Amino acid sequence: MILLKNARIFDGRSIGTASEDLLLKDGVIAGRGKDLSGDGAEVFDLGGKLVCPGFIDLHVHFRDPGYEWHENTESGARAAAGGGFTTVVTMPNTDPVVDNPVTVEYLVARGKRAGAARVLPSGCVSRGRQGKQLAELSLMAESGAVFFTDDGAPVSDAKLLKTALLYTRDLGVRIMEHPEEPSLTAKSQVNEGAVSAASGMKGWPASAEVIDIHRGIVLSRETDSPIHFTHVSTELAMDAIRQAKKEGLSVTCDVTPHHLSLDETYVLVSRYSSAYKVNPPLRTRKDVKALWDAVADGTVDAIVTDHAPYHVDDKDVPFQEALSGIASLECAVAVVLDTWLKTGKPVPLERLLSLLTSGPAALLSRPWRSLGELKEGSPADVTVLDLEAIKRVDVNQWKSKARICPWDGEMLQGWPVMALVEGRVVMNRLKESE
Amino acid sequence: MEWRHKNLISLEGWTREELSFFLDQTEYMEELLNRPIKKVPALRGKIVVNCFFENSTRTRSSFEIAGKVLSADVINWSSSGSSASKGETLRDTVWTLEAMAADGVVVRHGEVGVPDYLAKKLKRAAVFNAGDGTNGHPTQALLDLYTARQKLGNLEGARMAIIGDVLHSRVARSDIQAFRKMGVNVTLCGPATLMPENTASLGVEYVSDAREAASGKDILYFLRMQRERQEDGLIPSIDEYHRRWGATDSLVSLASPRAVVMHPGPMNRGMEIASSVADGPRSVILEQVRSGVAVRMALLYLCLGGVR
Repeated sequence: MILLKNARIFDGRSIGTASEDLLLKDGVIAGRGKDLSGDGAEVFDLGGKLVCPGFIDLHVHFRDPGYEWHENTESGARAAAGGGFTTVVTMPNTDPVVDNPVTVEYLVARGKRAGAARVLPSGCVSRGRQGKQLAELSLMAESGAVFFTDDGAPVSDAKLLKTALLYTRDLGVRIMEHPEEPSLTAKSQVNEGAVSAASGMKGWPASAEVIDIHRGIVLSRETDSPIHFTHVSTELAMDAIRQAKKEGLSVTCDVTPHHLSLDETYVLVSRYSSAYKVNPPLRTRKDVKALWDAVADGTVDAIVTDHAPYHVDDKDVPFQEALSGIASLECAVAVVLDTWLKTGKPVPLERLLSLLTSGPAALLSRPWRSLGELKEGSPADVTVLDLEAIKRVDVNQWKSKARICPWDGEMLQGWPVMALVEGRVVMNRLKESE
Repeated sequence: MEWRHKNLISLEGWTREELSFFLDQTEYMEELLNRPIKKVPALRGKIVVNCFFENSTRTRSSFEIAGKVLSADVINWSSSGSSASKGETLRDTVWTLEAMAADGVVVRHGEVGVPDYLAKKLKRAAVFNAGDGTNGHPTQALLDLYTARQKLGNLEGARMAIIGDVLHSRVARSDIQAFRKMGVNVTLCGPATLMPENTASLGVEYVSDAREAASGKDILYFLRMQRERQEDGLIPSIDEYHRRWGATDSLVSLASPRAVVMHPGPMNRGMEIASSVADGPRSVILEQVRSGVAVRMALLYLCLGGVR
């Protein structure tokens, strides 16, 4: 039994004005109110810090099985907890890929054993992630897969995507599309525009993202089946999604901390540091602004890290040789909050926090949708935020195996200081933040 | 002038005054090359390593001659038969060079940003970019600038057309930087499929018609055209390219009376340049080669020894 005292509570929708307590018992929320008595409970005085439903990250790469030198389920789950996330969804582009119930169950078991953040696997849309025929979607759902995606790549052709949308319509598990038209991005390294012009590296046009999103929207409309677009990075893509939502389609999307905070110029300013190489690429300043506008008007449903860790030997190499991806689980929340503070709080705090809690929870498969609220009886997943805390990002302290990060060495404001999964403390830095 | 640059990765940080000073230094070096015994002890006891991860004859020889004339010990480290072909990481290569006490590292690599990467890792040695992928070839730009200045005098207000495959050309990118800095008005020309998407961000104008681009220009710079571009589907045929954008006598005749024709070499005669132009009265292509040695001497001298 744990009693969190003197907190301001964000319940997934709004922030309470008064100081309140939250009682956690037997893995669930047992009570919320003023001056709760918790006889025999471990008491944490939060001194006015913000208590939120546990943060959920719908998009992480833990490289397990097959690429465990980059990361594995244990290091990833501990990194997630360290970063204030209590639930993460792993991507299935591993080796072998996650395209069958056995591998899904393996990951669920590995996640449980790690004893940190809750690990929910996603499965591939296509068998072998080959884009030819459907994987065993229904069986994977039964084994615990919470999304289907060929992430790392789009679902290769329109016919397969349409089939998958129809097949999953009544399954309660969404398709997550990585929006990229590959014929336009072969060998691309950076955003198409000023940086590709200056460096001569092959440009990655916005059209590659927008075309795939239009394809997905059209097929979602035709099949009356939901679709989710991940790591959306361009203004034009957001316009398309906004329009689809206005039409009432079940179209959702997420954005990453790096696309909300960095633009393409970092590639040049850093003199081609591989830390800034990512898929989709960092875009223009105008795109970054458009993503914040989309956060503000409700077009965006979730913030995801797309945590893409690599062993230093594979990332500390010249830009063009480096693999694409940014590892950020352990600083992502601070990156978002710090950017939000420094840009003059462009959206209400509640809106921002909902994208880490109730927003992503609503997109998970049915059993997990209550993770986004702090109601009596819902799982005792809690993240405590200290909006005043200022701390330097230090990759050498990370639980993740990754050691290259765009924000390494930077002072950021706004950090998670405690995380609990089903009433169990998985991260506690309350002392540091005093 | 106090020389403040340790490396030459890109000309981005150089001021116009520094460029002028550098070109003046290059003149002294060229005088040296005219002497019967062309060797001075300026860099005696310095080690310069030529690291060429991509084939090159003229640039490598030019750096080698430059180092040797100045009495530096020049070592050639080429990628075939070296650790690079054994799968050693660049990080380890760099540390190896440092351990061997190299004073200067000349690097050519097929990928953008490799000289930047080396310069960040090397504590001691100076790094000289001899071409990185599509990004930059600053010593080529310096020798182009030097050649043009020798022929045309003050370059302020001169007009230049760079014609060809700008998209894939590191020479074009460095030349745009260097010539604009000296006050030259630069126009790009070539098929739109071989142009960067955003030429305005480079501070230059683009016209697709070669005749319009060449008209009244003082410098016509033709880029090397690679056969692969046809295979990539970016141009329909080499013949069509030659007729629309190649250096022909009729195209060159549209330029200003004092115009010079430049090319970074090696040339594909009959493709981007007709032999009659390459060997004609306007061509300064061989002067460019000669300037290359003097420019690289000035660079090594300023960054490794000379006036620190």
